[in-house]
Amino acid sequence: MSNDLHDHRHCLELFEKLSEYLDDELDEATCKDIEKHVKECVACFVCLQTLKRTVDLCKHAGDRPIPRDFSRKLREVIHNLPKTPSA
Amino acid sequence: MTAPKRANFKKIKDKDFELIRAINSGQYGRFPDLVKRYEQKLYNFSLRMCRDPADAEDTVQEIFINVFKYLKDFRYEAKFKNWLYRIAASTCIKRRRKSKFAPERELSLDAFYHQEESESPNQVPNWALMPLDRMLNNELLDQINQAVFSLPEKYRLVIVLRDIEGFSTAETSQILNVSPANVKVRLHRARLFLRDKLKGYFENE
Repeated sequence: MSNDLHDHRHCLELFEKLSEYLDDELDEATCKDIEKHVKECVACFVCLQTLKRTVDLCKHAGDRPIPRDFSRKLREVIHNLPKTPSA
Repeated sequence: MTAPKRANFKKIKDKDFELIRAINSGQYGRFPDLVKRYEQKLYNFSLRMCRDPADAEDTVQEIFINVFKYLKDFRYEAKFKNWLYRIAASTCIKRRRKSKFAPERELSLDAFYHQEESESPNQVPNWALMPLDRMLNNELLDQINQAVFSLPEKYRLVIVLRDIEGFSTAETSQILNVSPANVKVRLHRARLFLRDKLKGYFENE
């Protein structure tokens, strides 16, 4: 892998598509183009790996438990709504 | 006599339909079951959109009141969860407009690209290589959530729906009423923004 082969115009063009690549939303030819490019371009390879890790971390962001007092209050509010919804 | 028009959509399978049909047939006493099913998810969605826990609670309450009000209009043409999040996102956006926030920032792709280029990294940093289960701890999760909070709302909505809530590009596009291309652009910029925040966090660790 070498930065000498770095074609900056091509790099920017593919940089725009890295999320679509990670989401499997690109056609096969563009995927192959990206895979070939990141083998030759360290900066884009690093970008792809760090972006992939960012997405993985986001998917694990986790949920906070709903406060019990609020959950109770929410049920009271729902209970006190009119028995038939009216827009 | 003309043939009846066929619906122009696939039949959707959805675990919520039975409950929604029951409520819409007059069993309003089952509405709390719906609240129980989604209160946790909507609380976290609202928390990520509002930043402030008290605002998030008010937002969740408003979302459920809107759901109660409009549930009879649900047409069973899409998953109920998608319809619910459409109401949730719209409630969050309307609440923000009522408040006195400054206009939203735009995130430019160039800013992220040139930064990457000038740094010319020659290797993948450790934080992108370590096994995920060894990295995840409360401090890091807090950092991720703080980074999400610091995104402008229109980018935050997209990344929360796509990467945290797990909706597809097409579903997110329907929930937010923006084109799929727009969802993709916003998502990519939001991810690059978060990546920079995480990079900063790991470099200063």
